[in-house]
Amino acid sequence: MNAPHIVPSRELRDTCAIVGTATSRLGRVPGVSSLDLIVEAIRNALDDAGLKASDIDGVLCRGPDDSYSHHQLVAERLGVNARFGTTLTNGGASQIMSVALAVMAIRFGLANTIVCGFGRDTWSRTHKSEEARVKNETRPESMLAREFGPEYGYFGATAAHAFGATRHMHLYGTTRDQFGAIAVAFREHALRNPDAQMKKPLSIEDYHAGKLIVSPFGMFDCSLRSDAAGAVIVTSADRAKDLRQPPVLIKGFGTHNNTRGWFQDDNMVVTAAKQAGEAAYAMAGLGPKDVDTAQIYDCFTYMVLTQLEDYGFCKKGEGGAFVASGALRLGGALPCNTSGGQLSEAHCEGMLQIVEGVRQMRHTYPASRQVKDAEIALISGHGGNQVCHSTLILGRA
Amino acid sequence: MMSDTIPKPKPRPAPESIPYWKAAHEHRLSIPKCDSCEQFWFPPSNACRHCLSPNFHFEDVSGRGKVYSFVTFHRVYRPAFENEVPYVVALVELEEGPRLLTNILGVSHEDVRCEMPVEVVFDDVDEDTSVPKFRPASRA
Repeated sequence: MNAPHIVPSRELRDTCAIVGTATSRLGRVPGVSSLDLIVEAIRNALDDAGLKASDIDGVLCRGPDDSYSHHQLVAERLGVNARFGTTLTNGGASQIMSVALAVMAIRFGLANTIVCGFGRDTWSRTHKSEEARVKNETRPESMLAREFGPEYGYFGATAAHAFGATRHMHLYGTTRDQFGAIAVAFREHALRNPDAQMKKPLSIEDYHAGKLIVSPFGMFDCSLRSDAAGAVIVTSADRAKDLRQPPVLIKGFGTHNNTRGWFQDDNMVVTAAKQAGEAAYAMAGLGPKDVDTAQIYDCFTYMVLTQLEDYGFCKKGEGGAFVASGALRLGGALPCNTSGGQLSEAHCEGMLQIVEGVRQMRHTYPASRQVKDAEIALISGHGGNQVCHSTLILGRA
Repeated sequence: MMSDTIPKPKPRPAPESIPYWKAAHEHRLSIPKCDSCEQFWFPPSNACRHCLSPNFHFEDVSGRGKVYSFVTFHRVYRPAFENEVPYVVALVELEEGPRLLTNILGVSHEDVRCEMPVEVVFDDVDEDTSVPKFRPASRA
């Protein structure tokens, strides 16, 4: 069943850098479409890099599920023709995948400077009316399974991920207290981030008092609904030397898709982060012990816990004890989602994890937000129907 | 509209799963089995998920299995389920191997456990449709 083992080439390591990064306004941004939010983030990222839109010759992005060839719409608003451009559809794994594609395209001469971004207007779309909220609770009608789900009252991503949480709890004795430690740590980080959507402290008591959604998940296990966009600008490490910001090197990346299905094999407890991470570590010539900060795709608390295991930060089954030790907090063994993550900063399908990873590598944060002496950041993206995964490793130049 | 008048979604079978639903209507649990490698798979599709052989048939299975994992819905995602919450949706692993989503009947949501032995029952939702569900096995 298994394809032959492969080792990703180290030839791509350190060939490209992220030279600009930014977000749009985050949280509740009424009256602005997802398209305008991503353009806002890209404009801010160009300013950050000291570049103009005309310096861009590649556009890679994911669109909303119902947008056709979304990068065309983005490039049109940027006023650029793109030598290299496409729209990705790996859900939350798309954003890192776009950076990986950018590196490959630049390294092999298909483009010079590529913008990768994602924007969404989920808060506005789901909260402007009760009808919109209900409509957006689940996937678009065209994506709904017509059998083997709805007739049993099975709907939505929360339930899908909750299956993994239940199984992990059964196998390893993982507890909701441990899931709660993740939510609490990320909220602490969000309170240090003035742009974060969530402004109130969250205690473990608050976590347990949150209403149950699809147990074992309560409301504080679930990520936010946000209007949010983010962007990064990728170019060759050579060109990066002459630009405004300290370049952040792309050291490695990897992808894996457990496309046999989330409900197959042991995929809900051992995610594709395992193979994607191994590929990224191999390309970077690094391992989990070298990572100073992790920005993990946190659609739900449990997904952080299991990915930390799959990335080798602790053994399989020990994620609960690891997160409960305080490891994820700033000052802990592995500061994680240091801007608040999708649980507390804003949910932009993994794009803000990349932005935060870049910022941590620049060392331009005040001490209260900076992971001290951080040299290496690991970033994860997870999505599709719970099975697509991508990993990015960044380092200080 | 009162919620108890809102019907639950009925299965709208893909062409490849029509035999599954036809069997369910006759209170048989029947899933694809490969003529080449003799393994079962689910959900139905027109080629074996193990060896891609196009030669297969639907075969009745034991209806016995165990709960691989489960979740409990507290939130009402569709008005038709307003009177059902909290309800369990489980992933049952059949003795024959494949896993399928289902509801667990005849037990409080608080008492469902992973690895719990279960057996199939058929919920006749109307004259034309029976939906396979599961209950704790009568013998362990």
